[in-house]
Amino acid sequence: MIPSDALRWVLKIVFLSLIAGLAVFAAISLAGLGSPVLAVLPLVGAGGLIYLFLSPRAYPLRWLAPGVLFLVVMVIYPIGYTFMASTTNVGTGHMLSKTQAVHQLLERTYSPPDAARYAFDAFEDPAGDLALVLTGPSGRFLYAGGEASRMLDPDERAADDDGDGRFDRVLATYRRLDFREVVQRLAVLQTLRIDLEGEPVGLRSLPDFTVLRPLYAYDGAAATMTDLEKGKVYADKEGIFTAEDGEEIFPGYRRSVGLGNYLRLFTSPAIVGPFFTVFGWTFVFAGLTVLLNFSLGLALAMLLNDPFLRLRHVYRVLAVLPYAVPAFVTILVWRGMLNLNFGVVNQILVALFGAGARVAWLESAMGARAALLLVNLWLGFPYMMIIALGALQSIDVSLYEAARVDGARWGQQFRRITLPLLLMPLAPLLIGSFAFNFNNFTLVWLLTEGRPPIIGAQTPAGATDVLITYTYRLAFEGARGNQLGLAASISVLIFLIIATISAINFRLTGTLEELSKNV
Amino acid sequence: MKRVAVLVLGLLLIAGLATTASVAGKLLIWADDTRTPVMQIVAAQFTAAYGVEVEIQEVGFGDMRGQLATAGPAGEGPDILIGAHDWLGELIQNGLLEPIVLPGAMIDEFDPVAIDAFLWGAQLYGVPYATENVALIYNKALIPVLPSTFEGLLTIAKGLTDAEAGTYGLLIQQPDPYHTFALHSAGGGYIFGTNAQGVLDPCDIGLDNAGSIAGAVVLDQMVKEGIEVAGADYSLVTGLFYQGKLGAMIGGPWTLPDAVKAGINYGVAAIPTIGGGTPKVFVGVQGFMISAFSANKVLANLFVKDFLVTKEVMLDLYDRGGRPPAYIPALAELTGNADIQGFAASAANGLPMPKIPQMGSVWSAWSDALALIVNQQLDPATAMQNAADQIRTTLGCPTE
Amino acid sequence: MYEKHSRLGSLWRHAVLLIAVAFAVFPILWMVSASFNDLDSMQFQKLIPPNPTLRQYRDLLTSDRYRFGLWMWNSMKVTVVTSALTVALTALGAYAFSRFRFKGRRVGLLGLLLVQMFPQMLAMVALFLLLLTLGEFFPWAGLNTHTGLILVYLGGAMGFNTWLMKGYFDTIPRSLEESAKVDGATPFQAFYHIVLPLARPILATIFLLSFISCYSELLLASFILRDTNQFTLPVGMSLLISDQFGKRWGMFAAGAVLSVLPFVIVFILSQRSLVSGLTRGGVKE
Repeated sequence: MIPSDALRWVLKIVFLSLIAGLAVFAAISLAGLGSPVLAVLPLVGAGGLIYLFLSPRAYPLRWLAPGVLFLVVMVIYPIGYTFMASTTNVGTGHMLSKTQAVHQLLERTYSPPDAARYAFDAFEDPAGDLALVLTGPSGRFLYAGGEASRMLDPDERAADDDGDGRFDRVLATYRRLDFREVVQRLAVLQTLRIDLEGEPVGLRSLPDFTVLRPLYAYDGAAATMTDLEKGKVYADKEGIFTAEDGEEIFPGYRRSVGLGNYLRLFTSPAIVGPFFTVFGWTFVFAGLTVLLNFSLGLALAMLLNDPFLRLRHVYRVLAVLPYAVPAFVTILVWRGMLNLNFGVVNQILVALFGAGARVAWLESAMGARAALLLVNLWLGFPYMMIIALGALQSIDVSLYEAARVDGARWGQQFRRITLPLLLMPLAPLLIGSFAFNFNNFTLVWLLTEGRPPIIGAQTPAGATDVLITYTYRLAFEGARGNQLGLAASISVLIFLIIATISAINFRLTGTLEELSKNV
Repeated sequence: MKRVAVLVLGLLLIAGLATTASVAGKLLIWADDTRTPVMQIVAAQFTAAYGVEVEIQEVGFGDMRGQLATAGPAGEGPDILIGAHDWLGELIQNGLLEPIVLPGAMIDEFDPVAIDAFLWGAQLYGVPYATENVALIYNKALIPVLPSTFEGLLTIAKGLTDAEAGTYGLLIQQPDPYHTFALHSAGGGYIFGTNAQGVLDPCDIGLDNAGSIAGAVVLDQMVKEGIEVAGADYSLVTGLFYQGKLGAMIGGPWTLPDAVKAGINYGVAAIPTIGGGTPKVFVGVQGFMISAFSANKVLANLFVKDFLVTKEVMLDLYDRGGRPPAYIPALAELTGNADIQGFAASAANGLPMPKIPQMGSVWSAWSDALALIVNQQLDPATAMQNAADQIRTTLGCPTE
Repeated sequence: MYEKHSRLGSLWRHAVLLIAVAFAVFPILWMVSASFNDLDSMQFQKLIPPNPTLRQYRDLLTSDRYRFGLWMWNSMKVTVVTSALTVALTALGAYAFSRFRFKGRRVGLLGLLLVQMFPQMLAMVALFLLLLTLGEFFPWAGLNTHTGLILVYLGGAMGFNTWLMKGYFDTIPRSLEESAKVDGATPFQAFYHIVLPLARPILATIFLLSFISCYSELLLASFILRDTNQFTLPVGMSLLISDQFGKRWGMFAAGAVLSVLPFVIVFILSQRSLVSGLTRGGVKE
């Protein structure tokens, strides 16, 4: 069953040679497709694989490589992409690359007011080549093989078999296409630009070909765009071709702004204004959420871990149900339930305690904050219960017996044994939960949209806004629509904040020390 | 373990089937749920006539713009999309739309306001099919005769309102600037003013002028008198109306199909004058647009011109969406329709919804102001002033 | 720690648990009730529908546009494949972190956690472009394919899972593998034939956690899948309420109720191993 070492070596060499061969083949074909950058990838990949399998030092990496590969491509690459975007002005009006924008502008055409129009008949030979007969004010033209020429009438190369005044064949082998066939070839016809009587002629809409002069000319050296119809020159200004009188040509394009977005974050009063209020609440929200969710989860886990408790399996399944429905569904259900006048929660409160017990869950600052924590508790405690339930069972029962012999009460047992032994392994998960809730966009956006508003804020900000929702509004409802570049710089900044907090937490909980220990 | 591996492999193979993108010679259309069924019928007709395949992809109305921005330049976008005219500013500035060429005679067959809405400069960027705006929708069983002034309406509304019994007289969904604009505009409130050339000036913000504040005061009064209540969102307002527990609401044509289903005897009318001023409502126009990244622009043009601009399709779209047609021959078929007349009366004083991208920064500040008024957390004048200042700050305009 | 309860002790425990379960279940019941209500409104419904009806379920299951059965099948496909592969990738990685000492081990483990904390706001655009490029060369793994979606999901496979599983592996005595190696087994064979069978509980745990997160994932899936026939359940369900005016609450609720069933089955099946798996994963012995 276990092959000999020699055989394994041979297999390995054969396998790696195959990989190398495939990589070279892929690289050559990619380079042929005109993507030299992409062509490097298979070579790098194959090189990495060979290194992995031959170098003893890379041995542990062999185990990690599959997971890390996905991590790098699907998580780290987007982070890099976000970082790159944060140094550009990408956003509404600057979505395309400069090449794309210039290309699109150069494709724009205009028809002079007195432009000639040409009715056309299309013909096709058995090989699939197209020919056109264009009929304009100055006569008939035949377009075939990439060139147009005036037709001599009568022309021996064209034949009107049924005598209806339209040619049925041209150039002997080309037969006229009916309208249905023309429609099927419109995608090709629309790309034709025919030089006719000194003017470029093309098909912009049915039924006629018409003169389509290029609207713009691009001067690559001076980076200016000239409107050929008006004779106006537009130069680059912050990623838009702009004339001296301020007229702009859309679309603009994205360009690098260096650290400009970051500078804006720190200097713009619009952004800095409510920042600290929002930051404070974000911190409190994430912290309280972890505390509340973990407390409830742990309490239930301790109750449900009790082997003497009847029906504990039923309770477990019921308690874990909130976890089973996608959050975007249940958050919306909660929103309806928390409505001031019509929600069932207030109806129950009023029925139990009278009209004064009605809570402005979504309308008052404190109510909305409480609602956010409540709903998040509902969404999150099953997860905490599951992991606490597991961790609890592993605690050595003899520890409690010893404690009991020493006369420790339940509270002391909990504080001295249960909690420390639980926190150690669960700390990374709690830190992760903190980070997740720090960025919990879905919950805030769907439940309160950050509302109620903070009175007198310089930019729209709400009492339940967390950093990510507050900045989302800024970036996506800003001056000129979306400012993705700004949003990207915010993402990077938030990441730095949360990474710092996590690092501190790691140190406080001793997770790092735990890691360094050898097992 | 081995069985799992075989299962995984098998599933992986099944998983990788169909892919779709805009390909030359085949039309791809993005439509939302109400338009998809109509488009499927037209697509089948087009395929039957010309043997050209047409695929309809259902994309949520709210997701379409964002997805087009990513998918379009990547060559993955549609050839034709169905959307609203106020997307124009953003889509054009992003280079996502292609101008549309229509014969002059065909343009004359449309409501000029609708054509105007899809013009950007001198270029037409969409073929309109329907206009939409809000109007006063009232339950004739509760309000048999509509008073001629808003003040009169409020008196009736007050009489109908009984929070204990769960009945209400007049509700405007909140916080919702779109539905509340009528209150502001009656006294001369506006969002963006126009400069001498008739172009919108994004720094001339009228949300804190006397008219806008007067409208906010009316809303504040409604709350104080218990007519308007906090938490009245779209589903609540319409839900009450469908149960016959609401005298009147401000709403659009999209609310009517369910009202018919619920058997409510309703009427549609222009919103009565407020403080002697005529309320203006936003008019939105829905239409077909062609992607700048389409490989089938001429084909798409043909599809729109010959297959969509027909009385039958326009009426079919009306039947399913309830929005009054912008195509005059189709509209003419509906002259006897009281709903359409009601919305048309309201639209007669309408303003096209501004289509510049700066609108994005208006909605959230304005909604916040309305929320504060409805929650009775701030007086109406200060709330509107704050909102206007927030918009100026966001847009980088000088604040007063 | 636990002993037999007195009658009072038993009473308060059940009282507390009943309150907690009521809290957990009430919104779900509300949803269930909406699914049997004809009203299509979550705000005016009663807990017991006045005229209970199966109409919403019938509409949902027979609709041409809302292809619930197909979406459920798509979801199961994507979720099961993703979860299985997640378990495999995580097991390999966690084993390396548990058994080998190498440069960058500590940084690697910390990095796994930190990287998951990056706000995903703009990741969509990057992933979209990535799949687009991938699709040009491998159309079966590009945009609008389940393979593409699975590949994206696998990016989150490591992270927390690796920590959980590494903790578990740490508790398995090395002596077992050492003796296998003496008998001539390669490290991989020792891992595959000796460690993995012992780690079955934690494998089940990771599978379940991955199953839950993948089964209810909406954002990435809605960005990557275009064609209604390719939709996963959450994407399809969001169609029901995405229409600004005209949300189909009843059908939506019916769909949500039906979508819970697979999860409940998987949870009940794996409950025992889930509990013991997390136990040993969390704590070193």
